Amino acid sequence: MEILTGTKIPFIRKKWYFISVSLILIALSFVSFYIKGFNLGIDFRGGVKFVIRFNSPTSERAIRESLAREGFDAIVQQLGESRGERFVVKTRQTDATVEETSSKVKKGLTGAYGEGNFVVEAEETVGPKVGKELNRKGTMAVIYVLLAILVYLAFRFDFSFAPGAVIALVHDVIITLGFISFLGIEFNLSILAAILTIAGYSVNDTIVVFDRIRENAPRITPSTIVGVVEESINATLSRTIITSFTTLLAVVALFLFGGGVIHDFAFTFVVGIIVGTYSSIFIASPIYIFMYRHWPALAVKLGIRKKY
Amino acid sequence: MPSSLKWRIVLICAVTALGIYILIPTILGLKEKREAALQKGEELPWYYHVLPNKGLNLGLDLRGGIYIELQVDLKSAVKRQADLAIYDIESTFKDKGVSFESITQPEGTGTISIVFKSREDMEKGLGILEGYAYYRERFIVKERFENEEKPRLTIGFSNEFLDNFERETVRQATENIRNRVDRYGVAEPDIRGVSGNRIAVEFPGISDPERAIDIIKRTGQLEFKLVDGYEKDRVIFFNMKDGEVSQPQLSAMIDKIKEEEHLPENYSADTVSKINEKLRDKIPEGDEIAFELVRDERTKKVVKALPYLLKGKAEVTGDMLEDVRLTPNSMEQRFEVGIRFNKEGTKRFADLTEKNVGKRLAIVLDGYVNEAAVIEEPILSGEARITLGYGYEETEKKARALSIVLREGALPATLTEATKSVVGPTLGKDSIRQGIEASLIAAVAVVLFMILYYKVSGLFADIALFVNVILLLSLLSVFGATLTLPGIAGIALTVGMAVDANVIINERIREELRRGRTPKSAVENGYKGAMSAVIDSNLTTLISGIVLYQFGTGPIRGFAVTLSIGILTTLFTAIVITKTIFDYRAFKGGIKSLSI
Repeated sequence: MEILTGTKIPFIRKKWYFISVSLILIALSFVSFYIKGFNLGIDFRGGVKFVIRFNSPTSERAIRESLAREGFDAIVQQLGESRGERFVVKTRQTDATVEETSSKVKKGLTGAYGEGNFVVEAEETVGPKVGKELNRKGTMAVIYVLLAILVYLAFRFDFSFAPGAVIALVHDVIITLGFISFLGIEFNLSILAAILTIAGYSVNDTIVVFDRIRENAPRITPSTIVGVVEESINATLSRTIITSFTTLLAVVALFLFGGGVIHDFAFTFVVGIIVGTYSSIFIASPIYIFMYRHWPALAVKLGIRKKY
Repeated sequence: MPSSLKWRIVLICAVTALGIYILIPTILGLKEKREAALQKGEELPWYYHVLPNKGLNLGLDLRGGIYIELQVDLKSAVKRQADLAIYDIESTFKDKGVSFESITQPEGTGTISIVFKSREDMEKGLGILEGYAYYRERFIVKERFENEEKPRLTIGFSNEFLDNFERETVRQATENIRNRVDRYGVAEPDIRGVSGNRIAVEFPGISDPERAIDIIKRTGQLEFKLVDGYEKDRVIFFNMKDGEVSQPQLSAMIDKIKEEEHLPENYSADTVSKINEKLRDKIPEGDEIAFELVRDERTKKVVKALPYLLKGKAEVTGDMLEDVRLTPNSMEQRFEVGIRFNKEGTKRFADLTEKNVGKRLAIVLDGYVNEAAVIEEPILSGEARITLGYGYEETEKKARALSIVLREGALPATLTEATKSVVGPTLGKDSIRQGIEASLIAAVAVVLFMILYYKVSGLFADIALFVNVILLLSLLSVFGATLTLPGIAGIALTVGMAVDANVIINERIREELRRGRTPKSAVENGYKGAMSAVIDSNLTTLISGIVLYQFGTGPIRGFAVTLSIGILTTLFTAIVITKTIFDYRAFKGGIKSLSI
């Protein structure tokens, strides 16, 4: 079985169609960042989170109301697989210490449901200081990954390749974050881990395309570059799609069957991989061509290089 | 067969066999059984000695347990340190005839304000603070108001001193948590300092989180107790009921009891009290046996425990201590620990040392003996020096360790919970089941797709994938890595990404075939041409994995580790194994056609 062989799709000549799709998605992402923001998990914000199993079924609303009586504005979510028995309860820190908040929540639930009618299966408390620190460290981690990949590519390929790959990468990260923001997915440590991994993985497809362009480099001149690049993208199209597809198979399985924690984590990958493949095909190469054409002159203008 | 091919086959088989061997204990769940047997003191069956004793560690999110980060309250520690310094400066000024109005710590900020009687006094005071090395290293002058009616000076701790002090305080807290955890008798606790002056404590599989946290946070109980015995030729003899017993003899007796009674292989409070109970008829009325724990320097695991027979009553306790100081003694070329008692302590210590010259006094923190020093002379002033042998290098480490112990009694570091996560065992089991199910479905989907799309060549990739997972898991268990829920997801992800290498290679081979090459040269060129793309793309993912490891804690680290190791095993299996299979076929009958 073979797919997508011998295609002659004018990826570069029709580039503005594809770039506009990306620009629209990026713009929408920023709109969502601005309007909806992120549903930060307690990892980054501080607070208390419980996983509670009740002996008899109850509802999100009932739990929320019983906690509201104690003055908590809690977020309650049922965990998929159980029949109204297992819930995640989250709330901000309302007292001097997180421990106090934690014991108040438990007391409130005991008041509403009675002693021994529920079990706290997991508890997580994060002090505000730790939350802030993670916030800063997380942002730094994303920046480090992007820089490290930029340096690696500049070193392994010609410099004119690196910006295309990294811009495609930033594109993937922004749009994935846009989805997370828009859908209100809880942004916690594992989502951040997924984002970082996507940054490392989504560049793979770009590398496959660039590797082929590098191989064809001897044939590249200002007049042939569009043809050579288009030919390279078409020649590698099937593997770009299939490599992403196999990984997608794995993460879709995790998304559908992994349960609680893994669910959102896998979803982030699904979005990241699809967007990553799109940018590898449609975004990275036009930027390479732009760099090939304009970088020498630009470098002189910026004072990085003395002459052409 | 060409020798390079032969060697590759041998290497692949050997590595796979080794991987399976390493995984046997994990697959059979031997680790838990081993721990259970050791706790009960049972004999282990023979195969435990043949198999590796490491298994795959399950993270807290899978196994249940507690992870807690404690913040060391440095502010209040600095405040206390400033109070001590005030006492110190006061007595020096009095000694040297410097008249002052007051020395105070305004608002508990760690800075000290000194109001002098006159300008001359201030000059003299400054002379002392800047002249003596002891003060010069500790303080910097922040402000001086010479022209006021009462000249005033503000001093604060120097940055070097503060850095050092903070480091020591965190270390003190870490050491003491370690001791208390041993007292609780938890298996495999993990205690380490993390950034931001926090201490991370991890207890896998603990059923009673409230109690464990209580124990960690409790301030240390420091006591001075007399050793009931004497020393001859560097061996300590204890006065047991039916005669003298040397320390090695007592140690042997205890070992025998532990074996007979199937006591666990630890020295937790529980175990120690059971030992005392069993020896009840041999221990003099009111005495008790306590242990000095000897730890491996690197792993911090207890390797030896020296028993002591102590008089039961604590003569002096930690709350009577006022100050503890690690001081170099240049006259005698060694480090010493200086301690100072408060009024009550001074009286009691004088009384105790007068009556017991020549005996040993044990310093006991949270029930464990830390040092048993000889009382050389009566100490009436409330200030004592503890010496620990000779030589700067030899004594520094010991003196430092002891000063940490004593300081915990005198100036306990305050700990607050910064972040905590508790996972019950049932939740963990459900997570494992779902995680593994999802991963298996992912693996089956990928395996089937490869066969469907690449036929026999896809099957080769699947064989490589199988070995890949074995190697990944066995490396994780060799490195003692911890498998977490995101880690399981990481394995599934690795499965999906691992075949990428084969996809790239196989597509290249197809391309070469379309160009009309023979199957054999298509394979050769396919591998050659695809190599750079395969390596580059895997290395960028590895970069993410490494950054993620640096950044993450707990579950995220588990994910980063699986991801990174998975990439390394992928590079080996997806390239070397599949290529070897192709080469073997070529050798067997030549490749006439390719099923790809």
